[in-house]
Amino acid sequence: MVKCTINGQTVEVKEGTTVIEAMHQEGMKIAHYCWHPGLSVAGVCRLCMVEIQGNPRLQVGCNTVVTEGMNINNTSDKVKEAVQWGLDFHLINHPLDCPVCDQAGECGLQDQYMEFGQYDSIMAEPKQKKHKVVDLGPTVVLDSERCILCSRCVRFTTEVSKTNELGIFNRGDHSEVGTHEGTSLDNNYSLNTVDICPVGALTSKDFRFKQRVWYLKEQKTICNGCSTGCNIKVYFNTEGFFRVKPVYNEQVNGYWMCDQGRDIYKFANKQARYQGGKRYNQGQWVTDEAPGHVAMQASKVIAQNKNKTALILTGQYTVEEYEIAIQSFLASVGNSIGIKNIYHWNSHISEINNFDGTLLRGDRNPNTKGLIKVFEKYNIQTQVEDLEKAIEAGQIDTAIVAGPEDLTYYKQSNQKMVSLISALKNIVWLQSTINPELEEKVKSNLFIIPMKSYLEKSGTFINFNGIEQSFRAVTTVMSQALTLGQAIGLMMGDQKAVLPAAETAADHAVKPFVQESRPASQVMAEERKKNEFIYKRGATNER
Amino acid sequence: MSDKIKDKSLGMWYLSGILGGVKITFAHLIKNLFSPSERVTLNYPEEQHTYSPRFKGNHILTVKNDGSLRCTACMLCATNCPADCISIVASEHADPHVEKFPVKYEIDILRCVYCGFCEEACPVDAIRMGPEWQIPDLADGNFIYDIQHLAYRPQLKGGIISVVDEQERHQAGI
Ligand code: SF4
Ligand code: SF4
Ligand code: SF4
Ligand code: SF4
Ligand code: FES
Repeated sequence: MVKCTINGQTVEVKEGTTVIEAMHQEGMKIAHYCWHPGLSVAGVCRLCMVEIQGNPRLQVGCNTVVTEGMNINNTSDKVKEAVQWGLDFHLINHPLDCPVCDQAGECGLQDQYMEFGQYDSIMAEPKQKKHKVVDLGPTVVLDSERCILCSRCVRFTTEVSKTNELGIFNRGDHSEVGTHEGTSLDNNYSLNTVDICPVGALTSKDFRFKQRVWYLKEQKTICNGCSTGCNIKVYFNTEGFFRVKPVYNEQVNGYWMCDQGRDIYKFANKQARYQGGKRYNQGQWVTDEAPGHVAMQASKVIAQNKNKTALILTGQYTVEEYEIAIQSFLASVGNSIGIKNIYHWNSHISEINNFDGTLLRGDRNPNTKGLIKVFEKYNIQTQVEDLEKAIEAGQIDTAIVAGPEDLTYYKQSNQKMVSLISALKNIVWLQSTINPELEEKVKSNLFIIPMKSYLEKSGTFINFNGIEQSFRAVTTVMSQALTLGQAIGLMMGDQKAVLPAAETAADHAVKPFVQESRPASQVMAEERKKNEFIYKRGATNER
Repeated sequence: MSDKIKDKSLGMWYLSGILGGVKITFAHLIKNLFSPSERVTLNYPEEQHTYSPRFKGNHILTVKNDGSLRCTACMLCATNCPADCISIVASEHADPHVEKFPVKYEIDILRCVYCGFCEEACPVDAIRMGPEWQIPDLADGNFIYDIQHLAYRPQLKGGIISVVDEQERHQAGI
């Protein structure tokens, strides 16, 4: 441990810590652009100036290692002036087109100008013109004029994605970020460059111009794109979900997430979802029924076929739901013939151990481990193959399928499953997103019950590594939709399943209006503070 | 109630006020009949009042020299609007120097409180409050003004040119 003094405060840090890291640990403010905790030190923006006693010149905090007894200061007039001029140089050629810039509202230039700048520019020269709206690849658009040449994106492609597509070309004020000849920014981690770009130079094609960021709320959750279970935040408002960004978690995903995970919000938006329950009976569709009602109808046929009902589960639901669902299933029907008629359906069973070397795993279910754990608890060891055999043997004539949320990776598997069970007498299909395959193929008695997407419920996922991660509901999109536990409960004849958990005396106790007593869904102003770029990074290490 | 007022003469207390009012009305009637130039009312709609040029009436979306919309779809007006009556959908423009433009710009005029905050928020003089103040119409939908109405309604004679000129801005390097 090394002791030093920063802004008059004695600070103890690990050996090898840089000044900027030490200051973030202590929650002190320091201006910076090029330094990112997940990347190497470049020291190119010259904004993180600090004054060190005994050293006549200012030093950059990101590239200066703390030594014993160092006396560091970044509040003196000398530092303030240096930062201000540093900022002025960054703004010399900046177009200041904030009104059309997607980053406005969460922009490093805006924030740091408000914090450390606030001067009138004295530049008289015309600004340098550069390329606008450069298509870097399938996901990212570059605006060279807005770029402050911090090189974060370039370092990201060399150090993290290791694809080396980006570079800085030309010299002086003609410098521009671009892709090397013959390449485009096309890798599965490309959108991280948009997150780390402190200005609006890199923008995501998917999110571009959809919303201004100040219309969005954010909420932390877990990605359900694969079994890695990256920590993310989703951005949403009353019109739906709009984008996903990674949240720092040292044990799981570090600072990053993959591009495939960025799409998960699309499956939770209304357009992709079943808006109401559906039934198909003797060639006729009954649509737009309350999900609970469809479940009650299904419970009648299940009651008639108790011994021949199977429950098929995918690894896309939460541990809590599995618990309730399996419990109520076993209590009512599944166990009556001595066989536990519950099956694990995994689309990518052969690729389950695949890994792309960074984050993305072959198992595209967020909670395979969680399902296996609950299976073990109830001593169930069946797979889809066992289901095939059971169906062939005619032991099953009613199937309850808890389908996947995201059909992209279940496409073939879904076809197989649908054709496998389509001959059964009754099919109850639980899913949040629309499944056209199912509606087309199945000609028997079909019940479709809309489920809540995982963004609408609280629960736990267990990732490939056995790390249990709990998350809470982000918002409600379809208020009628059921959770797996509720749906199975209803079908097993337990009408209380849809009621909220019994209220305790503590719920009714009068609480003072302090932060701790706020409802879980309420987003506080501090949490939305876009200035987190400066304020919060040291404390929570996000971004 | 009435039998509380026993004294009949007290029950006539309001007459003097009424007669005073009738006197004023007739005085005005006679004055207006014989000197029409001093009338305070107008024969609307044949005659119409001209308001001050600073009057905040119905919105106008200004246009550039080439007749396309000046608005950059920055949504600052919508953010600033206290009545939350502006709705904008932005899209990518073919010209990289324009970049962003509104494919939908709608003002729900019945919710508008004519505060002028939108005009004040706009960084490029794309929205102005014009001198028109009449909004009568027949159907509900007609009160949601779209781009066609806001920028190109017949009264605007092809559009009002914005004071912020794109070409000039680019030459000045801002
Ligand atoms: S594009 Fe963004 S991240 Fe890349 S160098 Fe420019 S400012 Fe930095
Ligand atoms: S690696 Fe997996 S968990 Fe992480 S963002 Fe991608 S899909 Fe989501
Ligand atoms: S005048 Fe006021 S209320 Fe009307 S659109 Fe503009 S900002 Fe909104
Ligand atoms: S009218 Fe002005 S403030 Fe409103 S979106 Fe257009 S440019 Fe922005
Ligand atoms: S953060 Fe230190 S030089 Fe950029």
